[in-house]
Amino acid sequence: MINNKFDHITDNELLEKFYETSNNEYLGILLQRYTLLLLGTCMKYLKNESDAKDAVQQVFLKAINELPKYRVTYLKSWIYMVAKNHCLMQLRKKNIITDIDNVSIENEDEFDIENYRLKEFELQLLEQSIELLNEEQKKCVLLFYIQKKSYTEITAALGFTLMQVKSYIQNGKRNLKLLIEKKRKQTNESI
Amino acid sequence: MNPSKNITQLNDHELMMQYLEGKLMGNELHEFEKKMIDSTLLNDAVEGLQTIANKKNIDVYVTDLNKHLQNFTSLKKKRRLKNRIQLNDWTLLSILLIIALGVVCFVIINLLN
Repeated sequence: MINNKFDHITDNELLEKFYETSNNEYLGILLQRYTLLLLGTCMKYLKNESDAKDAVQQVFLKAINELPKYRVTYLKSWIYMVAKNHCLMQLRKKNIITDIDNVSIENEDEFDIENYRLKEFELQLLEQSIELLNEEQKKCVLLFYIQKKSYTEITAALGFTLMQVKSYIQNGKRNLKLLIEKKRKQTNESI
Repeated sequence: MNPSKNITQLNDHELMMQYLEGKLMGNELHEFEKKMIDSTLLNDAVEGLQTIANKKNIDVYVTDLNKHLQNFTSLKKKRRLKNRIQLNDWTLLSILLIIALGVVCFVIINLLN
């Protein structure tokens, strides 16, 4: 499926090789790594297998045509944005959504909750911040990150739907990040 | 997918398929779901793939799309190669024309002398 010869090469290295040599073979190998992710993403928005396949082909074509024109540093975010925009355009053409501007495109979140466990100070901040989350988010975040429960187990334990559980964890994590940063800023200012 | 592989040897594609088929357990399941929380792309992809009723179709679609992708990339390569060859043909033709012109001039000058 994917060329094993290049398995040890990172996405960024492949992209660099492509920019250095203009050899589309590198781009082909790189894009193949995203086929399944793109198919899934397009399926999520278009909800039709044939449309999703067509959309992935369009995204590939766009990538092959656009990437040589300017330097992209983080392909994962770029290609996700291209795929999502393409799907939203398709939906707009079919009048399924009318205002694309209202649909925000989120960047990849680099926040890693594990890092906050490393230092005691950070741990204290984390504990204090978790307490400030709303009840649903707090329960889901604790079960997911501290007790290492799966989505399904949390769903069964709390009686929320799977989508609710995901949403509480995602929003809880985002709020935690904001709360920790705010508290850290306050601490730095008081020193 | 290779069932004989250890879980740590699986690539992202294989991990995703294992997750969709409900084959990830315990820590592996938790690690994968943590990745989903951290990556909007992975989360959207899994949610989309979960809506495909027949999971066997997924591999068929991916293989098909990768074939098309290879065609796209090799097509551009061929076109570029063709352009390069055409350029070389013109260069060769020009050189031949200059040589022929030189020979003709040489013969004419000799005849006039």
